[in-house]
Amino acid sequence: MLKCKINGQDVEVAEGSSIIEAFKATGQDIAHYCWHPGLSVAGVCRLCMVEIEGNPRLQIACNTQVQEGMVINNNSDKIKDAVKWGLDFHLINHPLDCPICAQAGECQLQIQYMKFGQYDPEMAERKVKKRKVVDLGPKIVLDTERCILCSRCVRFTDEVSKTNELGIFNRGDHSEIGTVDDRPLDNPYSVNTVDICPVGALTSREFRFQQRVWYLKNETTVCNGCSTGCSTKVYFNEEGMWRVKPDHNDDVNGYWMCDEGRGTPRFVNKDSRLLSAWNGQKDEGQDLEAGAAAKAVGQTLKKVVAEQGSDKVAFVVTGQYTDQENRAFLSLAKDLGVKVYHWVNNPEKMDEFDGLLIRGDKNPNTYGLKEAMKEVGVGSPWSELESSVSDLEYVVVAGPENHFAYSDLTDKVDLFSKANHQVWFVAGDHDVLRAASNKVSLIPTKTYVEKDGTYKNFEGREQRIRRVMTLVPGALSLTEASKLMSGQELLVDGNVSESYRKTNFFSSNERGYL
Amino acid sequence: MSLVKKPSFKASWYLIGIFKGMGITFSNMIRNLVKKAGNDKISLAMKTYNYPEEKYEYGPRFKGNHVLTVKKDGSIRCTACMLCATNCPAQCIKITAAESDDNTVEKYPISYEIDILRCVFCGYCEEACPVDAIRMGPEWQTAALNGSDFSYDIKHLAYRAQLKGGIVSRVDEEERHKAGI
Ligand code: SF4
Ligand code: SF4
Ligand code: SF4
Ligand code: SF4
Ligand code: FES
Repeated sequence: MLKCKINGQDVEVAEGSSIIEAFKATGQDIAHYCWHPGLSVAGVCRLCMVEIEGNPRLQIACNTQVQEGMVINNNSDKIKDAVKWGLDFHLINHPLDCPICAQAGECQLQIQYMKFGQYDPEMAERKVKKRKVVDLGPKIVLDTERCILCSRCVRFTDEVSKTNELGIFNRGDHSEIGTVDDRPLDNPYSVNTVDICPVGALTSREFRFQQRVWYLKNETTVCNGCSTGCSTKVYFNEEGMWRVKPDHNDDVNGYWMCDEGRGTPRFVNKDSRLLSAWNGQKDEGQDLEAGAAAKAVGQTLKKVVAEQGSDKVAFVVTGQYTDQENRAFLSLAKDLGVKVYHWVNNPEKMDEFDGLLIRGDKNPNTYGLKEAMKEVGVGSPWSELESSVSDLEYVVVAGPENHFAYSDLTDKVDLFSKANHQVWFVAGDHDVLRAASNKVSLIPTKTYVEKDGTYKNFEGREQRIRRVMTLVPGALSLTEASKLMSGQELLVDGNVSESYRKTNFFSSNERGYL
Repeated sequence: MSLVKKPSFKASWYLIGIFKGMGITFSNMIRNLVKKAGNDKISLAMKTYNYPEEKYEYGPRFKGNHVLTVKKDGSIRCTACMLCATNCPAQCIKITAAESDDNTVEKYPISYEIDILRCVFCGYCEEACPVDAIRMGPEWQTAALNGSDFSYDIKHLAYRAQLKGGIVSRVDEEERHKAGI
């Protein structure tokens, strides 16, 4: 370990660390555009200037290693002047179209300008005009004028996704980020380049212009897109969820996440959701309160089991629910004495892994489900259900919330239609379900941003998800549904245990902050 | 702020004040009855308006009803940056942005609504706008027949009849580009 002093604060860092890492270790503020903890060092933006005692010239913190006893600061006037000029050079050809830039509000240029700049530009020359709104594939839009050539995105495609699409073309002030012949930048991790781009040069087609970032709040949770379970931040407001970004977690995903996982708002947001319970058949039926519907189903199931035997009812589970929910649902099955079947959405791809993050098992909690089934002592082979389904009175399905990963949904609905009734706990509203040929009950469930619980990822790592917002007020978690079905009441306890839920996010404090 | 005044000796002579005030009122009334307001400049008669037939015109700096300005081609100037909505203390501006087919425009508002009943006419929206897209004009009558008429949409804000085809914004993107900014 090496000792050094950062702005008067003593800190010890491992041998070989750079000064910028020491800054990060102390939590001190330092400007940097090109350095990113998950990428190699480029040292091109010249913004991370520091003054080292005994060294007459300013050095860049990202590419200078800490040596024993170094005394470093970045708050002298000399540094401020250097950073101011660094910023001025970055802005020479910058269009400053913040009003129409999707990055505004989280743009490093804006942040640095407010900290070090606030001057009038000293350039008399005309700005070099470059290409704007370049179509860089289905997910990304490029604005070459706004790019500050930090090369983070290039290093990302070289080092992390290893797809090497991006490069810097031309020289001098004509340099531009781009792909050869504007070929699309379309790899499964491409939107990470949008996250790491410190400015608004790369923007996500999906999120662009949807919301101003300062209107959104964020909360950390775990992605439920596949069994890797990346740590993510979901950005939301009172209308719903708008985007997902990776959160740093060295043990699981590092600094990245895949593009598919960013699509969770597709099935979380209200417009795709089942808003109330529904009882019916072939598109005709009526809406019910979710809680009342769950209670009624519970009573009927008990009656059927008592009168016709427990082999007239089957439970179907998916790896889409939290540990707590699985336990409650499986215990209910055990109490009723009915058989439980595990619906595996894509058995042939379950064990696939692309070497970086994406796994073929598109359920966040298959591991936890299997564990819970073993613990509770239920579980029967799927083939048995397939052969016996036409004898069944009731099939109760804990359906998937991420129906995009369940391409076999229609097949399964057809299969379950052979029984007399099917009961679905499901988050999304699906036409195939409402159109099913037997009697159907649909009961809305919460999605992963509306409930607390834990997922166990592919290697059994237990990760907590938390309730971030409520989108469908009547929806039940599977725990709540199981309670209601077994005849218990839901206790509404007025105490809010989680501090983060006490604040009314949208009333004031940070709103309007730029 | 309410002030509680202690009853003083002086205040107990209120009748004198009342008679003085009434004196002014009645002398004005009698003067108005006798003399006619009008052409004669040194007329002592008080000027009153026969509202609503006659209306007072405020100067252009008056902070009245909002106007969304337009570009030279008549399209809406607003870029949907939402700075006005962010700055608005009454939170009465609601904007929905969309991607424009025209790459030189890039972003524009597909809807822009001001809930004029919540507006406090502070003018912060006007101050926040980077492109002179919203102004507060001299119109001050906001009467309407039903609640929904108080939510002003783009059509009303930019193209209502009183604006005679729209007010042109001072900030022109093309000119700025030509100037190399
Ligand atoms: S990149 Fe930053 S400074 Fe540049 S236009 Fe976008 S928000 Fe403004
Ligand atoms: S596009 Fe963004 S990340 Fe890539 S070099 Fe330019 S500024 Fe850096
Ligand atoms: S005048 Fe004030 S209250 Fe009214 S819309 Fe503008 S900022 Fe909001
Ligand atoms: S009126 Fe001005 S401040 Fe408001 S969104 Fe439009 S351009 Fe931005
Ligand atoms: S962060 Fe050090 S030069 Fe860019």
